[in-house]
Amino acid sequence: MTFVISGECCSDASCVAVCPMNSIHPAPGEPGFGAGASLFIDPRTCIDCGACADICPVDAAQPADRAAPEDVERNAAYFAEREALEATDLDSWEPPAYQVWGRGPQRVLVVGAGPAGMYATRELLLRTTARITVVDRSEQLGGLVRFGVAPDHPCTKQIIGTFERIVRHPRVRWLPGTEAAALVQEYDAVIHAVGARRSRRLGIPGEEAACTAEDFVAWCNGRPGAALPVELVGPRAVVVGNGNVALDLARILLSDQLDTADVSQQVRRTLAASGIKQVVLLGRRGPGEAAYTESALQELLAIAGDRVELRYHARPTGWTPEGLTLDTGETIAAGNLFTAIGFEGQPVDGLPFDAARGIVPNVRGAVVDRPGHYVAGWIKRGARGGIGVNKACAQETVQTLVSASRGAASQGS
Amino acid sequence: MDQTAERLLGSANRLSRDPETEIDWDAPVGDGYGMSPEWSTLYGTPYWDELTEAQQRELTRHEAASVATTGIWFELILQQLILRDVYDKPARSAEFQWALTEIADECRHSIMFARATERLVEPAYRPPFVTRELGRMFKALASGESAYAAILVAEEVLDVMQRDWMRDRRVEPMVRTVNHIHVVEESRHMVFAREETRERLAGAGRARRWVSALVIAIAADMIVSSMVGRQVYVNLGLDADRAVREARRNEHHRSLLRTSCANLMDFLGSVGLLTPAAARVYRRTGLL
Ligand SMILES: Cc1cc2nc3c(=O)[nH]c(=O)nc-3n(C[C@H](O)[C@H](O)[C@H](O)COP(=O)(O)OP(=O)(O)OC[C@H]3O[C@@H](n4cnc5c(N)ncnc54)[C@H](O)[C@@H]3O)c2cc1C
Ligand code: SF4
Ligand code: SF4
Repeated sequence: MTFVISGECCSDASCVAVCPMNSIHPAPGEPGFGAGASLFIDPRTCIDCGACADICPVDAAQPADRAAPEDVERNAAYFAEREALEATDLDSWEPPAYQVWGRGPQRVLVVGAGPAGMYATRELLLRTTARITVVDRSEQLGGLVRFGVAPDHPCTKQIIGTFERIVRHPRVRWLPGTEAAALVQEYDAVIHAVGARRSRRLGIPGEEAACTAEDFVAWCNGRPGAALPVELVGPRAVVVGNGNVALDLARILLSDQLDTADVSQQVRRTLAASGIKQVVLLGRRGPGEAAYTESALQELLAIAGDRVELRYHARPTGWTPEGLTLDTGETIAAGNLFTAIGFEGQPVDGLPFDAARGIVPNVRGAVVDRPGHYVAGWIKRGARGGIGVNKACAQETVQTLVSASRGAASQGS
Repeated sequence: MDQTAERLLGSANRLSRDPETEIDWDAPVGDGYGMSPEWSTLYGTPYWDELTEAQQRELTRHEAASVATTGIWFELILQQLILRDVYDKPARSAEFQWALTEIADECRHSIMFARATERLVEPAYRPPFVTRELGRMFKALASGESAYAAILVAEEVLDVMQRDWMRDRRVEPMVRTVNHIHVVEESRHMVFAREETRERLAGAGRARRWVSALVIAIAADMIVSSMVGRQVYVNLGLDADRAVREARRNEHHRSLLRTSCANLMDFLGSVGLLTPAAARVYRRTGLL
């Protein structure tokens, strides 16, 4: 028996650092890290010590006898084609990399208390003696973990507990409900970790009457002030998009088990009253190119069964109350259209902006041509990657920030 | 608890390591570093830059020996704490059997560290007198979460360093193997210590939590500050006053410690052992 990692993994790689057998992959720096949503445990080398489970902030690492059989299989399958790493051959491990201390800045402002901002703050606490001010325009920290991650994934949301401890550190000042603009002058360095929340558009006629993923997840997660912009009309809905967010949406629309999830009465009632019994999930390309992860798909199919229809190679051309028209001329009759085709960043005051990619142009986190300004998270890389990927991302930014004031990092060997 | 213990016993069955046979104790020891140089107490200080490469290497060997000695000292404390804790537990329970397995591991580790230090450097190290006496008191008195969380602190601090050193190609191969053996078995011990700490704390009142948190923090301070002492610099013929002074102010080293202890601090925070008073101690020690 071994341990396995489930689909709730947010790939923050905490477990990689504590595994004594080098059994968890892809590790940061290895090909594939940050591409899928999850990491995997090699059953051939895992010695079942449980260290990974102990450290996992979202309870994604579990003993195989308590995990779902699909998870066990997925973990084993990942390694099927690879050779087992012999942990006692210590040269099969990555050598350690060290960051050498430099004085670094003393006052840092972190804008945005989502995963990127929180991981950046944590890294600053570890690598510098700076005093850090964290602001978020929202009253609550967590960013999309709180107001994006689906409410029926309570384990994933547990990471918020870790974030809350970070802002309680004596060197951190946490200012909820604050816009950054007025403060920027007072700091040696600013890390903008404002995310990318705006939904991409399909660009088809009638789209104004559709519901974006942004609006839907904000509503069902109870983001203050968020309302559902459309009326839900059964029995069929169309969700355009082939990422995990699209799958989240379909799953929530079809779930009969939201009772155990952390959703408000009103959301639950609205969903139950909607009469939506069927969801058509539209992908522009084929199943091979779909952006969702295997585990998310399995979860959806387990909940929705034949009430969800997956369609690929479909190009929508217009939306009317009758339904969604495709470029083949076919119309899928449906009461609602949801778009979940990705998110994009918005320009940040005073910083350059790459409109094509929806990011602030940067070199390893340093904003181009704006000394003292840094970015981390989705506004730095674009809206890709799960919660934990922002950790490596924020670490890189802080490393750039700290080394701006001194020599380069030192490689172990 | 028994479930965790059972799993750990199973894991120990899957892989336990025997330094006696795994390490060729008669093979000649090379002149590699004793630890990653970046982990030296002087790395990053002006003093470090004045040392020749050979001196730096020698310094890391002495420091590694001194750290290992602190490891032995703490493992002795730990064995007694566990032995006292399971004294009247049913022998058939997994928890009891795991506890004895852990003691056996620690026992082997202490011998292994002792032999390794003997081969690495000439002089023998020992934690300072006051530390030893306080340790004597602690191992006779500590119980419940204070005992287990202190075990966790000591093991975790050592563990993170050793994870770096074992992967570092510059470090003497014998030391790397010793470290990996320790890392593998320690990962189980830390799982156990966390579980015990959580369990003992369930239902603990605020006053007790406050006291325990402080005791653990002070124990952590003692462990960390006794790892590398003045004697190391003296034995190397360095200006000990200056070395101690620069080491104490070495922000690079403090930053490494903080980074390494991040998981530990997170755990202590999550079980409510990071009270303001304890946090102050950890900040002074350089762990927070
Ligand atoms: C619907 C949805 C579901 C997801 N589910 C998962 C999942 O299950 N698992 C997973 O691993 N990943 C999931 N992700 C991905 C994950 O949420 C992102 O990787 C992550 O949140 C990106 O972090 P960030 O810090 O860059 O941005 P965000 O999380 O968006 O945080 C940005 C923060 O900045 C604040 N802010 C913005 N502008 C300002 C300003 N001007 N002043 C002050 N504050 C400001 C915002 O209020 C926000 O709190 C999901 C994403 C979405 C959209
Ligand atoms: S969430 Fe992090 S710690 Fe947990 S399994 Fe995934 S990568 Fe490992
Ligand atoms: S149980 Fe232990 S050996 Fe197995 S993956 Fe987890 S940490 Fe590694």
